[in-house]
Amino acid sequence: MITLRVEFQKIKRKKIGLTMCALMSIQFAWLFWATRRPDETELLQGWLAHLQTQPLLCAIMMPTVMSVLASRLADIEHKGNTYKQLKTLRTAGALYRAKVFCGFLFILSMTAADFLFLLLLGYGHGYAGNPNPKAYLSSFILQIACCLSLYLLQLDLSMLFFNQMIPMVIGLCGSMLGVILMFLKTYSFLPWGGFLSSALVMMDWNPDTRVINYYYRDFSPVELSALAMVAVWIVVFYTAGRILFTRKES
Amino acid sequence: MPTQNLVETHNLTKEYGKVRCVNSVNMQVASGAVYGFLGPNGAGKSTTLKMILGLAKPTAGDITLFDAPVNEKNRIKLLKQTGSLIESPSYYGHLTGEENLQIIQTLKGCSEKDIDKVLKIVRLHEARKKLVNHYSLGMKQRLGLAAALLGFPKLLILDEPTNGLDPAGIQEMRELICTLPSKYGITVIVSSHLLSEIDQMADHVGIIRKGELVYQNTLESLHSHAKQQIALRVSHTAIALDLLRQDGITAAQEEDFLLLPMLEDDKIAFLCRQLVAQNISLYRIEKREKSLEDIFLSLTGKESSL
Repeated sequence: MITLRVEFQKIKRKKIGLTMCALMSIQFAWLFWATRRPDETELLQGWLAHLQTQPLLCAIMMPTVMSVLASRLADIEHKGNTYKQLKTLRTAGALYRAKVFCGFLFILSMTAADFLFLLLLGYGHGYAGNPNPKAYLSSFILQIACCLSLYLLQLDLSMLFFNQMIPMVIGLCGSMLGVILMFLKTYSFLPWGGFLSSALVMMDWNPDTRVINYYYRDFSPVELSALAMVAVWIVVFYTAGRILFTRKES
Repeated sequence: MPTQNLVETHNLTKEYGKVRCVNSVNMQVASGAVYGFLGPNGAGKSTTLKMILGLAKPTAGDITLFDAPVNEKNRIKLLKQTGSLIESPSYYGHLTGEENLQIIQTLKGCSEKDIDKVLKIVRLHEARKKLVNHYSLGMKQRLGLAAALLGFPKLLILDEPTNGLDPAGIQEMRELICTLPSKYGITVIVSSHLLSEIDQMADHVGIIRKGELVYQNTLESLHSHAKQQIALRVSHTAIALDLLRQDGITAAQEEDFLLLPMLEDDKIAFLCRQLVAQNISLYRIEKREKSLEDIFLSLTGKESSL
């Protein structure tokens, strides 16, 4: 707990929360624009539509957001050459855990804000009925898991490289890959495809009638494997990062 | 007076690939000492100190801190009684000096009052609210020392602490280091590649060269190897030389100076009177000592970049 408390002491004045808010507001604005002036069909399916749109937006935005978050948290250590001092006060494992947990708390807050916005938007537009609590809770947990896997990847890179441009570029490429994957298929085993694999709602678009029909996804075994891959990535990135950070000599 | 060893290394060795940076170093740092760890750049000083602090893993050998063999389980517990400043100071530039120290204080679990004390010791009290990014290099170095001093540890490990300091800062740092054992009971290991610096700070010295500890003893003992001479500069060197020889004093001429063996004060006074009586003007009289560098070279018998 002390090491985690220190993580928050360290980021004072770094305006990480503000940066995250700024990035999230882009996502909010995008979602708001996408759902403006809903017609009758959209009002009927609004709550379902959110669960389909949200993972797509995350697939585009989150690789960048996570790279920024990880970079901001790791960069302060590189700039001040602080690991050599910190490692005499805490074990490398404890320091790594604190960075992970600190990032996790940001992810938790951002996802909570995300879902709160979805609810406000839905009730604001007057969508029919109420959101399905089970589906929304599942989506909430899955979004956290996907963000965490990306954050761990980015944190490992940011801690490994002094020059933060490298992990940032990887994060941006991840965002682009998210967009590409979105158009190609409904699942992916890649870390950046986690959001795609975790979407609980899919859509059917009829080009003739131009009517969109949303439905709960029936996961095939391959899609389930892709979803499980998110957990695998979390374990892989956490273990790899911890080992790399622990073994790295200051 | 030093009684026991706070730090001991036994055959401490570090290899990076095929390069052996530290070779079977047996370091012994007595309690209450200022241990000067001397060696040219790249001799293995920082690597040795990093191994003591657990920042680098030894290839072979072991380390004993405060009478306990250091292992991964007790490393942090033992290091809680130490403070360190390795190579360059560690700091968060976007935080103030005080906030930086609060981080270390939280991690060390020492009293908040210590922050005030150490800031006063390193004379950063007035700049405590200033962002460290706005500090000069010397101020950052002093902040690093303040962080190391937090909790007033039993052992302080300082790796080239005067790097980047101006002459006044260097002098100040030296004076501070010298007072740490007597004032706060802190044992200090201070590394430097400058012989003169160690000469002014340390009472014990370890000399490392190409990864090997070639000398370890008290500074006094090192100085005992020194040869002291009296150097005279006079108006008529040749006449003075003859005069000295007549008095049975073996003197040698070196550039404008006459080099005499160490003499009693009375004898020197007598010689001065004699020279003046012969109308030889006495411009300068100095005591010359073989430098630590010379001693080092005579000890190792090798060329060095010191």
